[in-house]
Amino acid sequence: MKMNNIIKKTALAITLTGLFSITASAQDQGKSEATIVMSYSKNADLSKTATAIIKVKNKDGKFVAAKNAKVNFYLMHDKQEQLLKSANTDNTGLAVIVLQKDMPLDDSLSFTIVAKVENDPLYENASEQMHYKDANLSIKLNPADTGRVVIAKVTQTGKDGKEIAIKGTEVKFYVKRLFGNMPAAEEYAVSTEDNGEASFIIPKNIPGDLEGKVTVVAKIEDNDKFGNVEGNADTKWGKPLATIKDPFPRELWSPYAPLPLVITISTLFGGVWFTYFFLFYQLVKIKKDTAKA
Amino acid sequence: MANEKYNLKNEIETLREDCLRPTRTFGRSTQIWVGCLLVIIGWGLYCYIHQLRDGLGVTAMRNYVSWGLYISTFVFFIGISHSGTLVSAILRITKQEWRRPITRSAELLTFVSLCFGGIQPIIDLGRPDRIMNLVFFGRIQSPLIWDIISIMTYFTGSTVFLFLPMIPDMALCRDRLTVVDTRYKKFKKWLYKFLAIGWQGTKSQWHRLELTMTIMTIVIIPVAVSVHTVVSYIFAMTLRPGWDSTVFGPYFVVGALYSGSACVILGMAAFRKLYHLEKYITPRHFDLIGRVVLALTMIYAYMNLNEYWIPAYKMATAEGHLLNDLFTGSYSTAFWTCQFGTVLLPIVIMAFPKGRKITPLVITCIIIAAGAWVKRYLIVVPTLLHPFMPIQEVPGTWSTYFPNYVEFSVTAACLAGIFLIITLFSKLFPMMAVWEVEEGIEIDHDKQMAIELREIRLAEEAKLLDLAKTNGGVVNEGNKSITQPA
Repeated sequence: MKMNNIIKKTALAITLTGLFSITASAQDQGKSEATIVMSYSKNADLSKTATAIIKVKNKDGKFVAAKNAKVNFYLMHDKQEQLLKSANTDNTGLAVIVLQKDMPLDDSLSFTIVAKVENDPLYENASEQMHYKDANLSIKLNPADTGRVVIAKVTQTGKDGKEIAIKGTEVKFYVKRLFGNMPAAEEYAVSTEDNGEASFIIPKNIPGDLEGKVTVVAKIEDNDKFGNVEGNADTKWGKPLATIKDPFPRELWSPYAPLPLVITISTLFGGVWFTYFFLFYQLVKIKKDTAKA
Repeated sequence: MANEKYNLKNEIETLREDCLRPTRTFGRSTQIWVGCLLVIIGWGLYCYIHQLRDGLGVTAMRNYVSWGLYISTFVFFIGISHSGTLVSAILRITKQEWRRPITRSAELLTFVSLCFGGIQPIIDLGRPDRIMNLVFFGRIQSPLIWDIISIMTYFTGSTVFLFLPMIPDMALCRDRLTVVDTRYKKFKKWLYKFLAIGWQGTKSQWHRLELTMTIMTIVIIPVAVSVHTVVSYIFAMTLRPGWDSTVFGPYFVVGALYSGSACVILGMAAFRKLYHLEKYITPRHFDLIGRVVLALTMIYAYMNLNEYWIPAYKMATAEGHLLNDLFTGSYSTAFWTCQFGTVLLPIVIMAFPKGRKITPLVITCIIIAAGAWVKRYLIVVPTLLHPFMPIQEVPGTWSTYFPNYVEFSVTAACLAGIFLIITLFSKLFPMMAVWEVEEGIEIDHDKQMAIELREIRLAEEAKLLDLAKTNGGVVNEGNKSITQPA
């Protein structure tokens, strides 16, 4: 009997172990291989964001967005990974976090951020890192300048707090529109000079708002060293928007009908309905005549 | 004279009894008739619910023909609603005495055809719940809004126009009901009392009633004309072959009067036969209204000539395709049957006095009414199948149209609804304006009396002249002195 029990327990243990291993293997096989693409942006208000786009291959071998994947963002400091924040990807596979403005930098005045997909039930573990220097982009312009010269200055803050000019960096100039940025001219990219400044002339007749105000945007885009850095400034160099006093004149095809038509129809049918009401009044009088009688 | 008064009183009493008799019975044949109508209405409602639930795809209408039988019926029903205006208002305003026994049925036909004509465009909608968007967000520039305004105005007006001459009759029903035992007496008592609005026939009440009727008679004519003109604008104000016409307004109005007056004759004949009103609606009435229909049919034929001959002379590209289809194509049988069978043939028949006798006139009017309905279909559908942009790369069924069982059932239900309301109305209210016919009898009686008195006077004068002749001089009789002429 003892022997039988031992055999039975051993067989059960082997079966259960087998089942667990098959399930675990099946789960591993069901996971998709994730790929991470990272980017860094420093906005005009000096806020900083780190972005990770997670993509996976589908059955056809095409990359598609990995939805609702948890991404952990780490800051590498002194060779240590320090968890900053976690974010879930949206429907486009995008996970964004806002970085702190005074992020600690290493000796080369740069920082490293690592994005990781870890222990996700749907996606395999993946990791990617980005390494950028923290650049500053400021815009100088004189609203009274009839030459409409805008100067974008690219610097880096040294350890001693002094601004160090960065030369040879391409800055692109835009004008802000309602749904994005419009290149300010056909040639809108200028490299910084030794003093870190890039000069650009804003063309005439760019439509502005009612007062002619436009927002000039200078951007370092997809730079290997600095990522995306943006600065902007408002000025009244644009052409004031001509206001249409009467956007919908009274026409047959516009929302408001021509007055003669409105008056004619109202008079005709108003007259008929007035007569009807007079007749109703007469009916009331007929009823009242009964009371008198 | 006393004997004459007695006769007049008797005659009026007989008239009242003849008019009120149908309101006191609801016989087996009426019950069967109403039952049949309810079955048709029930089936039509079922089909409409099917259409509402599963969408307009259950009908034969598709992208190109989105106005089919429903809109054709809309135009036809709005057309026959002109009958009330024509027969009642125009004959009233021109003081045609023979109108008296037929005005009620004409006004009723107007009311019911408007009820069911007005709902046809809503039936034609896949989402009828959105009709209120037209009211709340409609643009006054749109002929659709004009249509809603004018139909609502005409409906209100024709309801008042039907009701006004009914007031003294309602009082008569109210007073008679108290002495006669009928079915649903309590309901009828309440209804007549309510509709009589306390009518007692006082001088001031008569004065106000005559005033309101005179005003209404004048107002309702231009309103009726506006309705069918605006209905035509729905077509004519779109750029489509066959509809892009400047004569569409008067063409529709004349077509409406022609079909409407024919339907009035059918109503007259039906009520005359069913309710034994032969004494009041005489062959003379049919002869006279037959002349009216004849005149209208001739005008309609003239309008048809203008509507088709002018574009046919030019045969412009898109218009030419449409006209070819109408003249020699798939619609040619229906088109030429309408032109010859329901316009020209009725003219020939009604031009002769024998053709205006009751039986041939009724048959002619049935042909006219059916032809007018088919003609509306020929106005609506072929144009939709001949757009300026050729129909291509669509399923084959989209380029043809013939109504299916759903559309026929819903339309038949509407027609049954018209018959049902007319039947129930005739079982509640007198189908002739009793007081108006009474007035006519009194006028006839007065005329007769005047003729008789004149004849008596002439006879007396002749007698006196003879007497003077025999006496060879002057005869004095009381205050009269007759001198023999030299």
